[in-house]
Amino acid sequence: MSETILAYGEFFEDKISPASLEILTPLWEISRSLQKKLLLLILSDDLKRVKEDNSLKRALCDEILVIEHQELKEFRDDLYSRVLSFVAREFHPYGFFFPATLQGLALAPRIAAELGVGLCAHVNALELEGERLIMMRPTFGDNIIAKLYSETYPIMATLALGAFSTKEGSENPIIKKFNLPQDFDWSSKMKVRAKRKTKKEINRLSVAKVVVAGGLGLKSKENFLKLFELAKYLEGEVGATRPVCYAGWTEEDRMIGISGVSVKPKLYLGFGISGAIQHTVGMENSEFIIAINTDEGAPLVKMAHVAIIADAEKILNYILKKLKS
Amino acid sequence: MEKIIVCIKGVPKPETVKVDPERHILIRESAELILNPPDKAALEMAMRLKDRHGVKVTVLSMGPPNVLPILKEAFGLGADELILLSDRAFAGADTLATSRVIAQAIRTLAPYSLVLMGLKSIDGETAQVPPETASLLNLPSVINVLNIIYREGKFLVIRETNYGEEELEIEPPLVVSMSPKLDYFRPPSLKRLLMAKNLDYRTLGAVDLSLPEEILGLRGSPTKVAGVFEKVLVQRGELWKGEPEELAERFLELLRVRGFLKI
Ligand SMILES: Cc1cc2nc3c(=O)[nH]c(=O)nc-3n(C[C@H](O)[C@H](O)[C@H](O)COP(=O)(O)OP(=O)(O)OC[C@H]3O[C@@H](n4cnc5c(N)ncnc54)[C@H](O)[C@@H]3O)c2cc1C
Ligand SMILES: Cc1cc2nc3c(=O)[nH]c(=O)nc-3n(C[C@H](O)[C@H](O)[C@H](O)COP(=O)(O)OP(=O)(O)OC[C@H]3O[C@@H](n4cnc5c(N)ncnc54)[C@H](O)[C@@H]3O)c2cc1C
Repeated sequence: MSETILAYGEFFEDKISPASLEILTPLWEISRSLQKKLLLLILSDDLKRVKEDNSLKRALCDEILVIEHQELKEFRDDLYSRVLSFVAREFHPYGFFFPATLQGLALAPRIAAELGVGLCAHVNALELEGERLIMMRPTFGDNIIAKLYSETYPIMATLALGAFSTKEGSENPIIKKFNLPQDFDWSSKMKVRAKRKTKKEINRLSVAKVVVAGGLGLKSKENFLKLFELAKYLEGEVGATRPVCYAGWTEEDRMIGISGVSVKPKLYLGFGISGAIQHTVGMENSEFIIAINTDEGAPLVKMAHVAIIADAEKILNYILKKLKS
Repeated sequence: MEKIIVCIKGVPKPETVKVDPERHILIRESAELILNPPDKAALEMAMRLKDRHGVKVTVLSMGPPNVLPILKEAFGLGADELILLSDRAFAGADTLATSRVIAQAIRTLAPYSLVLMGLKSIDGETAQVPPETASLLNLPSVINVLNIIYREGKFLVIRETNYGEEELEIEPPLVVSMSPKLDYFRPPSLKRLLMAKNLDYRTLGAVDLSLPEEILGLRGSPTKVAGVFEKVLVQRGELWKGEPEELAERFLELLRVRGFLKI
């Protein structure tokens, strides 16, 4: 097996995706323990632009490998995965990892199937047990984490967004061009005809300084909507648990957790939220956590810096009344 | 246009899931199976294309025989043909072993123009099956799609990306996973639901699909579970108890002291 670990560097419109830099943090540690080279792999139509991206200057990896070709200007799943599978076959890496962005989720499974290897989804922690790389993700049940491993190489996984914090390296990684053979097939069955940028910000929840979140303990949509009033006073955003979104109390893009957004606010308020692990993996890095719950035994109460044992509706009504007067 | 194939999954209804407290595994029998909610978008998209172009829609699902009611639900929505992929050898499959079965079944259904799936299931939630299946079939795939239009022998596909929306032109056949965000979902027709009661459906197993057992199910899955563990929590911070009004006052005070409330 070769001496490298590959990470996919999502490069879109001249910028590296922050999610690709995040995943370098755990991979760097693994690569040091196993004495392997960590390579960030970027596909682009212009090497110069990659060199100009300042956020790559201190990327935590040994080398940045760029595959440059005019056909790589647009993201096309079939072509991108053919290129990446080819690179994987050349390097025989120990592992090949992707951020769980929509591009990552589109590419990693195509490559895994092409190579006939396993792929772990939404991994939020990596750990070495001897030679074996253990990948962790929450699973069914309260606070249960599944440890997965792969029997095939390269070990492949998509890493959960927001699960790791970006760290800078001490040296500038070398940026190298990697050439594909003359006869490489650059064709694609896909043509990008038009693009529209989203008008709304990608997600304000994930960068909010204050998150006011609510769960089923709020009992009704009417109560849940009061969180928006409180969020206004605190200059924060409203977040929710999955059952609350499914019940239609709010839109799904407010969901915090493994199926939704990860948040890292200075203040997180949880009204009537039990703290199931699928939710807490998306908020456990909050600086200060306050839980409002009737149940002293709820996991979020245990995690909280301050736990208020009371009826969430009453507390919410009272503070809103006070704030309005 | 040739036929459309829709892949749907039966998933445990969220509130009925019970977990064995000792072994931390799902007690499957305890759970009621429902149609994976995101797959409704795949079925709806198929029916819209059927309305417009009069194509045949084949719906398939891999799972135990108790996913049959879910296939019948799809018939109620307008599916023409139902296929159950069921075999003990399929049990315990990871996404690769699942995709091998689905891809092989799709091969036997050629010619087809489009394979539709949901973005992800609400139980395994990997979102991996659609692109893995496409890759095994050597077809293009697009995930998180909002709309599909068929024009002059090609598909126009609108996908939502992390940066916005893209309009793609793709030659058939292709595999698409639909975003759950559709504006409208038709209800099933009661007449068709009644017809579905005595409906014929096909069951295909490993032998029918000429798939060797060593690449199927738990055995053929390269992704393995090493174990599960419980994250034990200890009380980390302060516990406040008392009258709600008094607690709310303390709460407000805390928010002010920490600088989160300016009033
Ligand atoms: C594959 C999978 C993925 C998932 N992904 C996510 C995800 O991304 N995000 C997510 O949030 N969930 C997710 N879930 C669901 C998760 O497991 C929990 O079911 C969910 O987070 C619980 O939501 P909740 O806290 O609102 O409800 P509950 O667990 O029902 O908790 C309600 C809480 O309110 C308290 N309460 C009751 N009455 C009151 C009152 N009057 N005042 C104050 N408190 C009260 C209760 O004590 C309880 O602690 C996922 C589940 C699965 C299986
Ligand atoms: C908690 C948990 C974690 C898991 N983690 C992993 C992992 O990391 N890696 C891994 O390889 N496997 C994993 N699995 C196993 C995986 O869930 C199964 O392989 C499952 O059969 C398919 O994957 P999915 O449910 O994630 O489907 P997804 O890929 O999320 O489903 C997307 C779409 O594919 C179609 N589809 C999926 N399954 C079927 C089916 N049986 N029949 C017809 N259409 C279908 C549906 O249209 C569905 O909407 C995990 C399972 C669980 C319960």
